[in-house]
Amino acid sequence: MSAILALAAKDLRLLIRVKSGLFFAFVWPLVIAILFGAVFSSGDSGSRRMAVALADEDQSAGSRDFAALLAKSADFNVRPASRAEAIGLVRKRQEAAALILPKGFGEASQQMFHGTPPKVEVWIDPSRQAEGAMIQGLLFQIVMKGFQKKMADTGAMRASLRQSIEDVERSKAPADQRASTGRFLESMDRALSEMPAASGPGGGGQGAQWEPLSIEQHDVAIQQEGPRNPFEITFPQGLLWGVLGCAMAFAIGFVSERTHGTLFRLQMAPIGRVQLLAGKALACAVACLAIEATLLAIGRLGFHVVPHSWALLVLAGVSTVAAFVGVMMLIAGLGKTEQAAAGVGWAVMMPLAMFGGGMVPLAFMPRWMAQAGVISPVRWGILAFEGALWRGFSFQEMLLPCAILLATGVVCFAIGTRTLRLT
Amino acid sequence: MPDGTFFSLRQVTKRFGTLTAVDGLSLEVQRGEIFGLLGPNGAGKTTLIHCAIGLLEPDGGEVVLSGGNPREPQVRARMGIAPQVLSLYELLSAEENLSFLGKLYGMEGRRLAERVAWALAFVGLESRRRDAVKNYSGGMQRRLNLAAALLHDPEILLLDEPTVGVDPQSRNSIFENILALKREGRTIVYTTHYMEEAERLCDRVGIVDHGRLLSLDTVQSLLASQGGLPRLVVETGGREIELFSADPLGELNRLAATAPIDRFRLEQPTLEQVFLNLTGRTLRD
Repeated sequence: MSAILALAAKDLRLLIRVKSGLFFAFVWPLVIAILFGAVFSSGDSGSRRMAVALADEDQSAGSRDFAALLAKSADFNVRPASRAEAIGLVRKRQEAAALILPKGFGEASQQMFHGTPPKVEVWIDPSRQAEGAMIQGLLFQIVMKGFQKKMADTGAMRASLRQSIEDVERSKAPADQRASTGRFLESMDRALSEMPAASGPGGGGQGAQWEPLSIEQHDVAIQQEGPRNPFEITFPQGLLWGVLGCAMAFAIGFVSERTHGTLFRLQMAPIGRVQLLAGKALACAVACLAIEATLLAIGRLGFHVVPHSWALLVLAGVSTVAAFVGVMMLIAGLGKTEQAAAGVGWAVMMPLAMFGGGMVPLAFMPRWMAQAGVISPVRWGILAFEGALWRGFSFQEMLLPCAILLATGVVCFAIGTRTLRLT
Repeated sequence: MPDGTFFSLRQVTKRFGTLTAVDGLSLEVQRGEIFGLLGPNGAGKTTLIHCAIGLLEPDGGEVVLSGGNPREPQVRARMGIAPQVLSLYELLSAEENLSFLGKLYGMEGRRLAERVAWALAFVGLESRRRDAVKNYSGGMQRRLNLAAALLHDPEILLLDEPTVGVDPQSRNSIFENILALKREGRTIVYTTHYMEEAERLCDRVGIVDHGRLLSLDTVQSLLASQGGLPRLVVETGGREIELFSADPLGELNRLAATAPIDRFRLEQPTLEQVFLNLTGRTLRD
């Protein structure tokens, strides 16, 4: 065992000494993950509107006016929907929030400075508290705009006031409260008759306690069907590039040992072929795991790449490493010289990476390309990482990609060790 | 194995496709001697060495090292080799190279540190022990190659062309190292195509060509049996006379009695001559 550890430690030390190898193993995958993530992010940020689904259950003039104000707003991108559809869209993360205008919205919106204000239900992912607060603020702004509009239209405003005065007189509120609100509304009516262009909500007494809008926020249990941000797509790609680059570096390094004669010296040592190959495999595995850990740590700390299951993430990481340690051995077995190993290795790995989603994310791939990608371990590696990060895979769902990765590793390792010439 | 024999090859044959690199070759190496394998490039020396250390399995015959087969790791651990192709990690320092190799031989801790320090001192590289090997001269790399072979204190040392591409200073240093090892009683197999090296270092020499052992004996015996007569060249009266004689002094006296001698020189037989006589070609053909 100590010989295996010594072999692995030596290979890792050599990897660290080769700056170009280190760059392609650690830095390049990170560049890919961050660069592509930023590119996809910038596509989203072209529209700063908040995507919301709106269900108008009231279908009144007031609710339609409110919906129209929302649609015109520079802050919202509104998709009309039914209540169930709207909440479903939030659940699937296709909309940031669902806004429901329940029955009675229009009637309530006609009441000024008294009674129950119009109610809006906001359905949102509880993890998006900041966006929830922002939506509330924006809704108030829109309501106030509607209010301003009414104030500017003195005819409409006075009609609303007269209606409100009648409502107050008919209400069952205490007599003194009815009287004070009535006086306030009468004075507003007089003021409007004298200053037809007056604007802005004013008032005191009961009006000061009155809110123009009632917002009822509800949590939506999120159904994980898409990544939370573009980095959750690009980091799995980066991880696979890192592991792939590392496997290639070790394969070429192995061939280099043969061509430079150091393998000869290793074979002279009192260690068997199994120990020798185990040392190589261990070094490659440790380096690949280090790359994965580094990238995931950076993704977690800097880019909100958060796994839904750490255990499944470990399973994905280990399975991917197992596959590519096997690939490393296969390439080392196929290449007689460093140039041949690099040529054969990249000639095989580039198409596998391309069809496997290493360049174009699996979700954006043409169907035929995605189907062709099933032969690529890159695809299964990315799928396993995505499963643990954002696809919400269960353990059973993880078994398929992980089993394929492990089988790939075993088969490639077996072929590689059989074809590998040590002399 | 006969008394005193430490290492033997018996009827060893190794083929690569249609090429027979080693052809039924037998030899025995005595404990404590420096045994030279002399032959031109492509004669089969390196293949023979690879069979001897267990790296290649002979197609026929057997290799025995003091009762064991070098293909077994524990037997192989008693051998040290400095291969012709430098087998060093250029990105690691001398110390790192040796420490790593020592661990493969089961050394660790203080014992490892002591052996590394000894090996580096033995080849005169202790002051450069932390430098990356890629920054070494060719001669220094050859010396480190020798240190790597000695690190685990092997009973027998196989040196395959250990002075190829080496400057005269490093070559002398390597010769001194080898002679020091012989004085310690270490058994050494030394392959070379430089006859002067074989003459200077080896107790016995086996001459190999086309995978076959053409002759095997002490250097003096080979010179006497296969080198031919000493060559006497005399200049007299503007003429140059060349004579081969077992009694060159007598010949010189006879010539001096007949005419004044302007100049003369005597050339003793060399292993080059031995090889020429055995194969009809020179070592560097």
